[in-house]
Amino acid sequence: MGECLERPRAACSLGGALVTLANLPDVVPIIHTSGGCGGNLSAAIAFGAGYLGDGYCNGRASPTTAVSETEVVFGGTDRLTEQIRATLELMDGKLYVVATGCMTEMIGDDVGGVVGEFRDGGAPILAVSTPSFKGDSYHGYDIVLDGIFNKYLPRAERKNPKLVNLFGLVPGYDPFFRGDLAEVKRLLAGLGLTANTFFTPDQTFANITSAPGAALNIVLSRVWGVETARNFEEKHGTPFWVTDLPIGPEATDAFLKEAAERFGLDAGESIESGNREFYGYFARGADLFCDGDLKRYAVTVTNSTYALPLSRYLSAELGWVVTDSFVTDKLTDAQQEALADGAFPIQFLTGTQEIARALKNNHPDGRGQRYFDDISPLYIAGSTLEKRTAAARGANYLGVSFPLYDRIVTDRGYAGYRGGLHLFEDLIGQIMSVKS
Amino acid sequence: MAKKIKQIAIYGKGGIGKSTTTSNLTAALSRQGYKVMQFGCDPKADSTNTLRDGSYIPTVLDTLREKGSVNAHDVIFEGFNGIYCVEAGGPAPGVGCAGRGIITAVELFKQQKVFDELDIDFVIYDVLGDVVCGGFAMPIREGIAKHVFTVSSGDFMSIYASNNLFKGIKKYSNSGGALLGGIIANSINQGYSREIVDDFAERTKTRIIQYVPRSITVTQSELKGKTTIEAAPDSEQAKVYTQLAERIAAHEESEVPNPLELDELRAWAATWSDRLLQLETGVVVGGAQAGI
Ligand SMILES: Nc1ncnc2c1ncn2[C@@H]1O[C@H](COP(=O)(O)OP(=O)(O)OP(=O)(O)O)[C@@H](O)[C@H]1O
Ligand SMILES: [Mg+2]
Repeated sequence: MGECLERPRAACSLGGALVTLANLPDVVPIIHTSGGCGGNLSAAIAFGAGYLGDGYCNGRASPTTAVSETEVVFGGTDRLTEQIRATLELMDGKLYVVATGCMTEMIGDDVGGVVGEFRDGGAPILAVSTPSFKGDSYHGYDIVLDGIFNKYLPRAERKNPKLVNLFGLVPGYDPFFRGDLAEVKRLLAGLGLTANTFFTPDQTFANITSAPGAALNIVLSRVWGVETARNFEEKHGTPFWVTDLPIGPEATDAFLKEAAERFGLDAGESIESGNREFYGYFARGADLFCDGDLKRYAVTVTNSTYALPLSRYLSAELGWVVTDSFVTDKLTDAQQEALADGAFPIQFLTGTQEIARALKNNHPDGRGQRYFDDISPLYIAGSTLEKRTAAARGANYLGVSFPLYDRIVTDRGYAGYRGGLHLFEDLIGQIMSVKS
Repeated sequence: MAKKIKQIAIYGKGGIGKSTTTSNLTAALSRQGYKVMQFGCDPKADSTNTLRDGSYIPTVLDTLREKGSVNAHDVIFEGFNGIYCVEAGGPAPGVGCAGRGIITAVELFKQQKVFDELDIDFVIYDVLGDVVCGGFAMPIREGIAKHVFTVSSGDFMSIYASNNLFKGIKKYSNSGGALLGGIIANSINQGYSREIVDDFAERTKTRIIQYVPRSITVTQSELKGKTTIEAAPDSEQAKVYTQLAERIAAHEESEVPNPLELDELRAWAATWSDRLLQLETGVVVGGAQAGI
C-alpha cells in the first residue's frame, strides 16, 4: 500500500523550482510538462505561504508547454521549441529556465538538446530536471540553484573578499525567507560584508551574476542548500559554512562572532549595538511577560531549517519548555542525523494527523484531573494546519511554518536581533489577543 | 442481437513469427466466413503487410499526428478477402512514448465502438515482443482482449519472453484482464524443439494449440507480399494455419498461466542444455560408427 498523502507540507520538486524561480530577479521560468501543473503548484504557494503571490511572468502567468496526449506519444520537444521561441520574444528576462515535470521526464524528451540549441544561438537559457519523482519542493530549490550557479554561470575572474552568498532558505516553504534574509544581510553589513540574498526585492540580476565571485557561502540550513554549496565550492572554489538561522540575541551573537572570525574581523561592536537594541525593547515587554505569568510549554512544528533555531529561541530567550519539536520535511537518514541535537526531542513526522496523534500519545490529557495535564499551558508554533490541533488542546498558537494561510507575510522575519523581537511580539501578541 | 466479438491478442518474442502467424490466422478465419479485423500494435506498423500485397497503410498515430483527431473508419483499410486492417503505429524511434501510443490507439477504437458497427466476429491484436511497459500490456488489461496466445519456438529466449508474458497475464488476471489461450509453437521442425515447448507448456500448465512447422512456402508467399493462405491455399502449411484457425474459433476457455520464477526458468533451461549436449554427443558417436 502506498502512503496516504494528507494535507501535504510540500509540493513536488517542480513546485519548489517554480517558487524559487518566481522570486529570483529577472528570471523567467518555462514549464515543460502537462497543463495544470504550473497553475496548481503556483497557487499552493501564492496562497499557502503567507500570501506570497506571484511575480512578473511567474506563478500563474508562467509560460508553459502544457503538453497533452499528442506530445506524450510523439515527444514534446517540438512544442518546447515553440514555447521557448515565443517566450524569448514576448517576455522580458535576463535568464530563462526550463523546468520539466513528470510527464516529459517519463517520455524522455531531450530537453537539454533543445535548450542547447537556443543557447548556441545566444539565448540566456538553461534547463533543470524537476519531476516529482526526483524529490519534493525542497529538492526543487536545490536543483534550480545548482543549475543556475553551478551549471550556468561561469567562474569569476576574481574574488571579492567581502562578498558572501546566502543559501538555505527556500522561498515560500520558509515563509519568512525575505525578512530573515534581509536581517542576516543587515547583520553582515554591520561587519562590513556584502551579502547576496537573491530573493529580497532589493536584489537585481547583478547579484546573481556576482555570486561566483563571493568569498564565502553561508548556508542557513543544515539540510537545504548544502548540496548547492558543495557543488559551488567544486566549481567556483568558494568555501561554505553551514550554520543555523540565528534567531534572537544569543544565537545572533554566536553567528556574528563566527562570521567575523572567518573574515578576520571583529564582531564586538555589532554584537553590542544589537544587544542594546534588542534588550532596549525587550526589557519593556518583560514586565508583561513576568507579571502576566506567560510561561508556556511549547511544541514546534516546522521544517528542518526552523526547528532548532525556533526551539532554541523559545527555550533560551523566553525560558519556555520545549517538549516536542516536529520536523515535517522528508529527510534521509543522514539529513536526520545532521539535525541531532541533544537539547531538543526532535520527531520526524509529516502528516498533520500523525503529529496530532503523537502529541496525544506523548502527553495524554488530564481526564479532568487537576494536576494531571503535564504540558499545560501549552503553546504550539507550527503551520496553519496546527491551528485546530491547538484549539482542541486549548493551546495558544502562532503560524510560523508552511502551509501558512492565516496570516500575511511581507518583510516579517524572525532572524537576528530584530527578528527575535518580532517573534516575541507575535508569540505574546497571540496570547494577549483575547483581550478586548 | 449483438453477437459476441472474440478479441484475441498474439504476443511473442521479436521476430518469432507473430505477424506471419497472425496474418495467416486472420486470413484463414476470413476464409471460413468470419468477419475479422487485424490490429497491429507495433510501431513498425508491418503487421498487416501480407494481407495487402506487401503495402503499408497509414497508422492510427500517423493520422493523429497530422490531424489531431482520428475517426476510426479513416484508419481501417481493407485487406485480403475483406479483412479489416489497422496499424497502431508509433512515434519516431527514440522519441515520445510508444507504449502510450498503443494505449491511445486501442482506446480510440474502444471509444468509437467500431467493432459493433462493423459487425465483426474476431479482432486479433498483433502485439510487439516483450511486455516492456504498461502500454504493451494494454490489450491484456481491462479485458480488451479475452484470450492471449503466445508464439514461441523452442529457443530459450523465445520461451523466456513467453514466460514474461505469462507473468503479465497473471498480474492482470484478477482485475478482469485477458487469460492465456495457449502457445502457438512456431518453426517446430526438429524433434527436440517440440519436446522443449511441450515441456515448458506442461510446467506452466498451459497447452500447445498448434505446431507450425518452419516452411519455405511461408517465405515464398511472403516474398509475393501474401499470406500462405492466399498464395498457396492448397499447401500443407495452409492446412496447418486453417486448422489453427478452426481451433481458435472453437476455443472458449482460457486460463491463468503459471509462470516460472526466473531461477526456476534458468534451472529448467540448464537441464535442457544438458540433455541437448548428450544428444549431440550421441550424434558424434553415431558419426564415428558410420566411419566419418
Ligand atoms: N513457420 C515459418 N516458416 C518460415 N518462415 C517463418 C515462419 N514463421 C515466421 N517466419 C519468418 O520469420 C520472419 C519473421 O516473422 P514475423 O515478421 O512474422 O515475426 P514477428 O514476430 O512479427 O516479428 P516482429 O517482432 O519484428 O514483429 C519472417 O521473414 C517470416 O516469414
Ligand atoms: Mg511483427
